[in-house]
Amino acid sequence: MKRFFSLVLVLMMALTVFAGCASDEAAAPAADALPGDGLELVVYAGLMEDHAILAMREFEKETGVNVDMVRMSGGEIFARIKAEKENPSASVWYGGGALTFIQAKNEGLLENYQSPIAETIPANFKDSEGAWTGIYSGYLGIEGNKKWLEENGMELPKTFDDLLKPEFKGNIVIAHPGSSSTAYNFLATVIQLKGEEEGFKYLQKFNEQVRQYTKSGSAPGRMVGMGEAPIAIGFLHDAIKYQKEGYEDLIFTAPEDGTGYEIGAVGIIKDGPDQEAAKLFVDWALSKEAQELGQTVGSYQFLTNPDANPPEAAMQLKGTTLIDYDFVWAGNQRQAFIEKFMELTQTELPTE
Amino acid sequence: MQTNTRKLKMKSEIATMKNVIRDPALFTTIIIVLSIVTLFIVIPLFRIMGSSFLFEGGVSTKYYEAIFTKAYNRLIIKNTLKLGLTVSILATSIGFLFAYASAYLKMKSKRLFDAIAILPIISPPFLIALSAILLFGRTGLISRGLLGMRDAEIYGFKGLVLVQTLTFFPVAYLVLSGLLKQIDPSVEEASRSLGASRSEVFRTVTVPLMAPGIANAALLIFIQSVADFGNPMVIGGNYTTMAAQIYLQGIGSMDMSGATALAMILLVISVSAFIIQKYYVGKKSYITVTGKISRARQLIDEPHIVKPIQVLVILISLLVGMMYILVPIGSFVKLWGVNYSLTLDHFRYVMDLGIKPILDTTVLALIATPITGILAMVIAFLTVRRRFPGRSYMEFTTMLAIAIPGTVIGLGYVLTFNTGPVVLTGTATILIIAFMIRSMPVGIRSGIAALQQIDPSIEEAASILGASSQKVFTSVTLPMIRPAFFSGLVNSFARSMTLVSTVIFLVSARWNLLTVAIMAQIDQGKIGVASVYSTILIIIVASVISLIRVIVSRFGVSADDIVL
Repeated sequence: MKRFFSLVLVLMMALTVFAGCASDEAAAPAADALPGDGLELVVYAGLMEDHAILAMREFEKETGVNVDMVRMSGGEIFARIKAEKENPSASVWYGGGALTFIQAKNEGLLENYQSPIAETIPANFKDSEGAWTGIYSGYLGIEGNKKWLEENGMELPKTFDDLLKPEFKGNIVIAHPGSSSTAYNFLATVIQLKGEEEGFKYLQKFNEQVRQYTKSGSAPGRMVGMGEAPIAIGFLHDAIKYQKEGYEDLIFTAPEDGTGYEIGAVGIIKDGPDQEAAKLFVDWALSKEAQELGQTVGSYQFLTNPDANPPEAAMQLKGTTLIDYDFVWAGNQRQAFIEKFMELTQTELPTE
Repeated sequence: MQTNTRKLKMKSEIATMKNVIRDPALFTTIIIVLSIVTLFIVIPLFRIMGSSFLFEGGVSTKYYEAIFTKAYNRLIIKNTLKLGLTVSILATSIGFLFAYASAYLKMKSKRLFDAIAILPIISPPFLIALSAILLFGRTGLISRGLLGMRDAEIYGFKGLVLVQTLTFFPVAYLVLSGLLKQIDPSVEEASRSLGASRSEVFRTVTVPLMAPGIANAALLIFIQSVADFGNPMVIGGNYTTMAAQIYLQGIGSMDMSGATALAMILLVISVSAFIIQKYYVGKKSYITVTGKISRARQLIDEPHIVKPIQVLVILISLLVGMMYILVPIGSFVKLWGVNYSLTLDHFRYVMDLGIKPILDTTVLALIATPITGILAMVIAFLTVRRRFPGRSYMEFTTMLAIAIPGTVIGLGYVLTFNTGPVVLTGTATILIIAFMIRSMPVGIRSGIAALQQIDPSIEEAASILGASSQKVFTSVTLPMIRPAFFSGLVNSFARSMTLVSTVIFLVSARWNLLTVAIMAQIDQGKIGVASVYSTILIIIVASVISLIRVIVSRFGVSADDIVL
């Protein structure tokens, strides 16, 4: 037995050394002198993963900052930042709906930073105090599986009210507003369209149509593309991305009577460890070059920097009717609305 | 009279205390074990409990009232219990079938069944849920492709039962085949030669000997089923269980207090199950003379017994096998359900993402494994063989670790170790500890089960001859329970690698883990990438386990004794 224990010990020591080497490797210095040389940064990214990876790589190349990044959904990032409030491990929140940023700002989780580059960005795409700044915007819409609709002799719902038709009962997939900024955006859109009382009545009925609530807002669109679900609510730029990925049966529309939209934002986490690098990152993320990166990996949102060229593929959405979206109000109400939503839908959930 | 007994009791307590202090190695070990248990199980739990009673600065039962007054919450509790009971019965039966076939029956291709029974252990738990959707979902290979069904429904209760049963039956198989192999054949042969039929032997000898093991297995599965959150998240649909709800409420809407209240109720359910089982097991004596089996068992070869069991086992194995073949295949398929052409894109994508999570997970699990394995055996030894103050506290809390839903203990760690005297969040240490605490109970259980089958007189003899506790443990106990120890190692590695619920709250940008990465990929609908990661995960676990087996065979334990 003794031999065994010594073997285990040796093995463990070898591993520790190995682990040490591995992290040394990651910290290899950049060649030229750059503004962020020697700096480190931890980023929570709410973007599509491939987009986030590309962005980190470009940012590292341009500034010399060493970045660690985790991709999570917007609600998850918010929860994580809130949980880590006393001892934040990340400094930048990159991507994800502004509504969640507004709630985070209200809870004192964000640092104010007025980036010089943010000056050119229209006022409705940024926080007046600089807690968050918009980097892109995208429109909410309805996605459907063409094959399923044809087989069942149905048409893609044209308005949000169409979603309540009996034939779609148990056939709609959407993310949960608690965990996904996409889904909360839908919730807030409905309430802005119909008023609070009617809006929640609608959501209560809508809940009975829902087959599943996913965690991340980008999942329902894929499920429809795969034929796993017939109808989904999601962002239309994601739908375009999925079509281009090869989900041929995926069709989509923007509701005729007006739809909501999101602003994707970037912000600095209060008391995060690497504030200097974080500011470098925000400046970079608002630049024309950084914003134009997304379209090369299938992120087809409209961009907030007036100099940046929006993706070609997004042009088909140009004529969409949008509601007059009150982001600050929707962000302030987030906690209350989600609680009310959960209460309403929970008490009315089918028993089987 | 009464004062006398009290005095005597006091005296004996002082005596045990003295004995413990006189044995410095034992004393130190006990102190270390008790600190670990207190710091990483008890304190986080109290933080959670505290937050469940806290409302606007005062103590309140508001959250508990909310749970019991709302029909929806009651339904969730009912759902959870129904699922747990169904799965624990089904999975224990299947596990027993596999264990019995493997230990008692003369059958070909046993090794294959063994291998297939291992698969659910060495892969992330939600993987079967994913395969189930690919096979039985609306565009599933079987439901749509083979049977032409239009509206197959895999989301919900039935899907969960299928997925959890297939995921958890190896737990029962592990526990039971370990015990079956320990049963001395001469007990059964004595019964046979006294004229008992095969079925009488089975009913009156084998099953009663196994009863504690069966209860053990059913309990473990019940607790795992009610605590499981990966599968309900992936395939639960509108059938919400408590663990999933805790996650949605705690992480999704940041209603931490409501979530912890629900978690406390879930904890009560698990702990009750644990206490019932303990009471039941405590009443049975199952010592089978010595730890060594006198000789090999004569395997049953009557076709009327072997054939039906064989058919069943083969069918189940085929199903499980199919579930897993999909994973590596999925990693080469362009777009599942849409475009089945082959591609290497997903592998390229994973390389693009970087192999850091793969490396990190493996290294951390490898560090946690030996610590967990030894600690588990030490705790089992202390539990069964030593009397000292705080023993029942230690026993109860280590077992409790398995009864706490993983998500909640993760939250508890964030609450406890983010600030205050010990700051651990964001470090590798907290991940290693999570691995240890989550995988230790299985090791402790198998250690205890093995020890209880060995008459303590052998160790007592060593003690009487002057051996210290340390000496007894390393020279007598550990060698006798080697198979349990090595099984514990293998299990702890596999469990660490596949753990998701606890670590999902502990991973950081610097330390990300494979399972969490897979979960994120599934959540984003990137099945191909998730498959690549999963395939890599399974390959790593399988190769490390084989390596452990090879190393172990050099210490006089045949690979067959390593229960997997």
